[in-house]
Amino acid sequence: MTDPLGQFSGALTAQVEATKPVVAAIRFGHERYVTGIVWSSDVIVASEQSLPRRDEFEVVAADGAVTAAKTGGRDSSTNIAVLRPQAQLASSSITTGEARAGAIAIAIGADGTGGASARLGIVNVAGPEWHSSRGGLIDRRIVLDIRLARSEEGGPVLDAAGHCIGMSTFGPRGQVLVIPAATIHRIVPVLLRDGRVARGWLGVTLHAVAVPDALRETANQPSGLMVMSVVEGGPAAQAGIVAGDIILSVDGTSTHRFRRITRHFGSDSIGRKADLRLIRGGRVITVKTPIAERPAA
Amino acid sequence: MSLLARNVESLAQLRVAIHATDPSRGESLRRLVVEAGHVVVSDRNSADVILSDGDFPSPAIRPTVTLGGTAHELPGVLSRNANSQQIDAALRAVAVGLIVRSPDLTDIGFGSMPEHDVALLLTPRELEILSAIADGDTNKAIARRLNISLHTVKFHVESVFRKLGARTRTEAVAKASERRRKETIKL
Repeated sequence: MTDPLGQFSGALTAQVEATKPVVAAIRFGHERYVTGIVWSSDVIVASEQSLPRRDEFEVVAADGAVTAAKTGGRDSSTNIAVLRPQAQLASSSITTGEARAGAIAIAIGADGTGGASARLGIVNVAGPEWHSSRGGLIDRRIVLDIRLARSEEGGPVLDAAGHCIGMSTFGPRGQVLVIPAATIHRIVPVLLRDGRVARGWLGVTLHAVAVPDALRETANQPSGLMVMSVVEGGPAAQAGIVAGDIILSVDGTSTHRFRRITRHFGSDSIGRKADLRLIRGGRVITVKTPIAERPAA
Repeated sequence: MSLLARNVESLAQLRVAIHATDPSRGESLRRLVVEAGHVVVSDRNSADVILSDGDFPSPAIRPTVTLGGTAHELPGVLSRNANSQQIDAALRAVAVGLIVRSPDLTDIGFGSMPEHDVALLLTPRELEILSAIADGDTNKAIARRLNISLHTVKFHVESVFRKLGARTRTEAVAKASERRRKETIKL
């Protein structure tokens, strides 16, 4: 006799069991922890936003063994952090998969004592690449219809075949997102090498403003980015940028949309010079400013 | 004294225990709580409410309001830069068993680059007017401060209210601080 529900349930428990070795609890303080993925025997990947800013954590691996782990690097723009455990961890290799809308998704978390917790749902959205509010490029927009406990954030998300589609994380309003495996593959080597992902930096805080009516024709666009503050000694300050300047374009790209502008400040922008077209004192002028590397937050 | 009257009185003045690791921050919170008409107590167990700057170090035995803390299961969760009115309202609400969240906190989490509606962006002049409103200036004071006519000030204020969807000056200031987060980037 066939027992489809029993088979389905058995397949789920088998997958959770098989995933246990790549799940670790990252402890900080009294009974508080988040989940990490044992990416390899000496690298744990976690959700950057979930980790307190400290250099060392206690990690509980799948067999319940506790080891110390140092922060190896963090990148808030893609929400990826890596930890380096002091003792080698038992790990199994991770096969990655692609997310498809409607496909079954299993989100695995650490239970804090070496075991795994599980959540079942489907991939709600599997969309194109997107830019985070911190300026990072995420290879795909993956949203799950799963609820997650705070301690489960950072765990692997599996498809029906048991392939890892990425790492779970919280988006706005408690939405559960997945940082795709492709993004993790791209960022982890950089973090292991440099401890951070370098980004271009001008040293300004900008506020989107409507261009005043009187200047709209000269500016030839309805909005710009007003300089609210300038970091002392930063690249923009050296170029003579002052608070009150309204930046209209960067190297010819209009400042109308944030995400188009942040593309100009990837790691390859460092050391280059940018042409800023801006309104100062009622006139439109162009100022050349160097792009430096963003200092660590 | 009737039971109702006593309850009203105890609500008007709460016993608040403050936790802050930074002494100057603790002092400014203490002042804020006292100015709101409450009493600061050192014994946490007897306090009506605990006000914690950031995370509270131990399991909270009394209703707790955290400013910028990560323990989101606490009854009161405000952002670190919550204003005095919001803190006072949260303390009172939490003391009577309610749960308080500020809307900007529902936005925490790994989000996408915000994009703004150009039609609703303020002009530099309107931002100046708004910061004067936030300072508590009247229209007359704003006119003097910016050296423009009262008529022009009223015109700008109306435009600011319309763009922010605000009906009062307090509401305009609150909505503007919410918008500022979405319309600001650091480069």
